[in-house]
Amino acid sequence: MRDRMAILLLPLAASAVLPLAVFRANRIAAGQPHGLVDTLGPGAAGLALGALALVIGALLALHRPVLRVAVAAGLLVGLILLMGWGAARLAADAPPQARVGPGTGFWIALACAGLLVIDGMTRLRPGPALRLALVALAVGAGWLILGSGALAQLSVLQEYQNRSGAFWREGAKHLWLAFGSFGVAMLAGVPAGILLTRLPRIRPAVLNLLTMVQTIPSIALFGMLIVPLGWVAANLPGAAALGIRGIGMAPAFVALFLYSLLPIVANTVAGLTGVPRSVTEAADGMGLTARQRMLRVDIPLALPVILTAARIVLVQNIGMATVGALIGAGGFGTFVFQGVGQTATDLILLGALPTVALAFLTSAVMDALIAMLPGAAR
Amino acid sequence: MIRSVLLSAVTAAALATSAHAQVVVSSKIDTEGGVLGEMIRAVLENAGIETENRLQLGGTPVVRQALLAGEIDIYPEYTGNAAFFFNRAEDPLWKDAGAAYAEAKKLDQEENDVVWLTPAPANNTWGIALRTDVAEPAGVRTLSDFGKWVSDGGEVKLAASSEFVNSAPALPSFQAAYGFTLGADQLIVLSGGDTAATIQAAANGTSGANAAMVYGTDGQIAFSDLTVLEDDKQVQPVYQPAPVVRAEVLAEHPEIEGLLQPVFEKLTLETLQDLNGKVQVEGIPAADVAQEFLTANDLLN
Repeated sequence: MRDRMAILLLPLAASAVLPLAVFRANRIAAGQPHGLVDTLGPGAAGLALGALALVIGALLALHRPVLRVAVAAGLLVGLILLMGWGAARLAADAPPQARVGPGTGFWIALACAGLLVIDGMTRLRPGPALRLALVALAVGAGWLILGSGALAQLSVLQEYQNRSGAFWREGAKHLWLAFGSFGVAMLAGVPAGILLTRLPRIRPAVLNLLTMVQTIPSIALFGMLIVPLGWVAANLPGAAALGIRGIGMAPAFVALFLYSLLPIVANTVAGLTGVPRSVTEAADGMGLTARQRMLRVDIPLALPVILTAARIVLVQNIGMATVGALIGAGGFGTFVFQGVGQTATDLILLGALPTVALAFLTSAVMDALIAMLPGAAR
Repeated sequence: MIRSVLLSAVTAAALATSAHAQVVVSSKIDTEGGVLGEMIRAVLENAGIETENRLQLGGTPVVRQALLAGEIDIYPEYTGNAAFFFNRAEDPLWKDAGAAYAEAKKLDQEENDVVWLTPAPANNTWGIALRTDVAEPAGVRTLSDFGKWVSDGGEVKLAASSEFVNSAPALPSFQAAYGFTLGADQLIVLSGGDTAATIQAAANGTSGANAAMVYGTDGQIAFSDLTVLEDDKQVQPVYQPAPVVRAEVLAEHPEIEGLLQPVFEKLTLETLQDLNGKVQVEGIPAADVAQEFLTANDLLN
């Protein structure tokens, strides 16, 4: 392996001597680090070390990216299962309020394995269909591991077990906030962008306005919407019955919608104005009406650019929806802010990890879909 | 265009939340809010009153605003906070438990049609706790001792929220009453910090912290080897938790008052410390802690 990725093998080897787990007497007590032998017991620790040596050897010997990805992915899964097993072992003779979480050694090894997988994948350059299949495989593997209970004794999952009902409820709200506001923004933003290509004189003013919206800090925008929406709820007949409130889902939804507009409108304009003049002239020459040209030529050619905006907006919304928890909108942010309030890191992670996973998945799927478009650059 | 866009977004948002006829139970986002809110919810549900769960909605301004706007119906509030709701923070009346409750009840009834129900006999007021290994050798037990000790050069570093440091009735009034001043290098200000964060900082000595802003009912105090200093000159307003409910909802369900009274009467300072500790330190969900307390005290049947 004569390449820059060899540099990862050093920290990977070193991670074995760093603490694998952190043990806390209760969920907010200071942690005590536990090394490999402490966590796994001498026998299992020896096996784990042997396996790690084998993996490093294999990575040094193997050159085909496919094999290296397979080895690195195996390492990734193995590490996670090992961590779950170690946590169960440490928690076995501790009181129920004790918590076991991953230590620095685990995180470093996990990061190395992750980077090796990503590096191998970029070398493999899988096509979009294969990428979708791999994403599905990763989700399935994650589902199996989490569902098997192998990680049940890890501190984050203990937080999950204490509030599994709330987790899925807030998760659904999070998805609705992020994807719902995105959908409405697409319905409004794409036609607005099309309109702006016809109205070049007001285009800069509208785009500047949307840019200004984008620069308002999210917590400020959420707060600013409480007053007007509260007014609407109080004064517009029927609005309150529809669920429009100053506090809760409505202001968060509207804020995310407003943030979504700039990328969608700007990219629609850029995509449409980027259609080469020769193409539009040819279409005109073939006798297409303006409407036919828009539907059959302009929009298909602009689609990759518009969908790139869609991907940006989705990832942005998934992240930003967390802040909605501060104004009663729910979502995974609920756990983040409760966790911050209680200084319970595991509770913060219970909100943060699914948010990150969701953003990552969405981005990967959107990327693959964009690449599948006819005429997309491969 | 923009208007129709906004309208469609709002309509879509409306689909997410359904109209409600149940009693909307809410609370602040902190630990105690969760526990008290879950108790209210469990007691109402047990008595056959349908509830909607909007617990841990946000900070005090968000929850208060939601109550006044009729978006929520009932939540636990602290008597001392009425001083701020009605811009009467200067009034010494808030330092007397009985008078504070009566005044809060009267003002909110008159101005907002909001009813304060029976409060808990616990005072969840702001205070200062010092590491026991610092307090004991220095002989500091009360805030008077603390003021003297700090003025004589005692090495202190207080972890507190910016609200505690800046709001007039908190640290500034302690400083004025007990004759000490903390400089910027003697403070660790955690913006929006919960006492969980300040206690943890003092307990672990994070950045040299050895003192913490605490609330009377913090569940974490007993676990952290901190000594809460006695407010021997009664500087602080009294913060008794009590359910506050919109008069309209109470008129519809007048039994709520009698249902919650025996529950809140049982919530002493020590009981609340214990219940909060179960949530915060042991990680037991607030709903389970509330249920367990209600069952153990025969408050559900």
